Amino acid sequence: MKVRRPVASALAVAGYIVMIVPILFVVATAFTGGETLRFPPEGVSLRWFEAALSYEPFIGALVSSLQLAVLATVLALLVGVPVTLAIHRGHIPGKGLVEGLFLSPLIVPELVVGLALYQQLMIGLRLDNFETLLIGHTVLMLPYAVRVTGASLALADPALEEAARGLGASPLRAFFTVTLPLLRPGIFSAALLSFVTSFNNVPLSLLLQSRDFRTLPVTMLDYVQQSYDPMVAAMATLILAATIVVAVIAERTVGFAKIFGGINR
Amino acid sequence: MSIAAEFSGVSQVFGDFTAVDSIDLAITEGKLTTLLGPSGCGKTTSLRMLAGYSAPSSGTITIAGVDSTRTPPEKRGLGMVFQSYALFPHMSVAENVGYGLKLRRVPAAERQKTVMETLDLVGLAHLAGSKPKKLSGGQQQRVALARAIAIKPKLLLLDEPLSNLDARLRVQMRAEIRRIQSETGLTVVLVTHDQDEALEMSDDMVLMRAGRIMQQGSPQDVFRSPANRFVADFLGYENFVTAADGRAIAIRPEHLEVSAATPAGSADGLRLTGTITDVAFRGVDLLVTVDAVDDSGASVRLLSDVRSTGVDTLAVGDTVTVGAARGRLVALAD
Repeated sequence: MKVRRPVASALAVAGYIVMIVPILFVVATAFTGGETLRFPPEGVSLRWFEAALSYEPFIGALVSSLQLAVLATVLALLVGVPVTLAIHRGHIPGKGLVEGLFLSPLIVPELVVGLALYQQLMIGLRLDNFETLLIGHTVLMLPYAVRVTGASLALADPALEEAARGLGASPLRAFFTVTLPLLRPGIFSAALLSFVTSFNNVPLSLLLQSRDFRTLPVTMLDYVQQSYDPMVAAMATLILAATIVVAVIAERTVGFAKIFGGINR
Repeated sequence: MSIAAEFSGVSQVFGDFTAVDSIDLAITEGKLTTLLGPSGCGKTTSLRMLAGYSAPSSGTITIAGVDSTRTPPEKRGLGMVFQSYALFPHMSVAENVGYGLKLRRVPAAERQKTVMETLDLVGLAHLAGSKPKKLSGGQQQRVALARAIAIKPKLLLLDEPLSNLDARLRVQMRAEIRRIQSETGLTVVLVTHDQDEALEMSDDMVLMRAGRIMQQGSPQDVFRSPANRFVADFLGYENFVTAADGRAIAIRPEHLEVSAATPAGSADGLRLTGTITDVAFRGVDLLVTVDAVDDSGASVRLLSDVRSTGVDTLAVGDTVTVGAARGRLVALAD
């Protein structure tokens, strides 16, 4: 087989190796029967999976992470979708500025956001750390909600809503029977991206953690610093498996091209 | 004949652009009225104001005798066909056509019946279960028509309905829309920039330019007696000359005779001498361009559509007489 662009292809292959091989090592060591995170693994067993799933701090943190990610996703969509509609269909002055404001969390360093939230909300307003984290994660997700739903809204013909109105639908009715069904794939993509962003977030979650509320990545980080055994690898493998399941669902229902195409627009 | 809708002193101003400039217009019930003009003349803006998608800056719009200037589109009961058709992609053809009936809480059985009858009217009953994406452009357009008709609208509004179809289909659909209009007895307002379409389809033609109405009348009246130079020009009068008495006159190219030997035209009509600057062969016809000086002393470029005889003797540089019979001269108001 003749490779058309040898240099680019070689770089691509090298890139995949650099990204994937370390993950494969983690997965392999998760199945070890031995006591240490060593490669090659010593025998095969599921003991570390059992250990991870019965280790209370991990499971507690997993529940916290899921709670936070789900709630923040819902909040981000509740704020982001109406904002997107206002930007694309409304007659508001300074649309560009509004859009820029909602996209800015992509650029502002998360540590700065975290510090600001810590100062203003936790110290200033005395909110507890879950509420502060929820607000912080919601803010981080807004760019996805606005961009991705915006991309699918931009593709929808504005005459569709007008047609619905002409046929007798009130503005609200037209929105729920025509606009929203058309936005569904976009909203689904935005939700997925938001969820993953929240679930994987470290900087904000690290800065705003407390003794009672800690997300899974932060707990795992903490654990690795104390002890170096394969339980972390087993937990990471479980998360990886769950992520692959979500990714497959996303690919089947919406398609990656659409999801990630949404961000680049 | 009663009036289905009326514009009184209606203007639409966007920033410093006046899209529609104080128009008065009556739409006759049961007739097909076309709003005709070049792009930017205000025809689509007028239609959108009639549909309720944009509110006039001033003036009133009356529908069926009721002041509807500020009535939202969903309360007007009009059927609109959009240029893009705007079919709901997530609904089947039948669901699209039934959408307006569902909103009117028509019971399912009756709704189904009306949907199928309407689809029958446009010849698409066999595609009721399809999604719009699977349909051809012509079929989509019929679905859009059916969806607008199904709600028994007070007026059927068509915004450049044929512009996205290929040439052959476009000509077919002209007759089709006329048939549907006469079968349903609907009052139709159609926006177009195509004068042939307007001439063929209209009962009443409204020519617009720069937000104003230039002329309104039957296609025959407007075509034979254009009110002014703009209307004449738009409808294909290529030749404009000033007569000896100062009147502005328009002549269609097919009515302008060119002759090398005997003087063309008649003594009491138009007769000018000029030089041929171009002869274009167009199959059945020759399009001859003649530069001449009219009775007011102005240089004019005249176009004559001459039937090709097979032994055409007209050539560039020939000195010829051009002329038209008295009955072919159309006097313009300005």
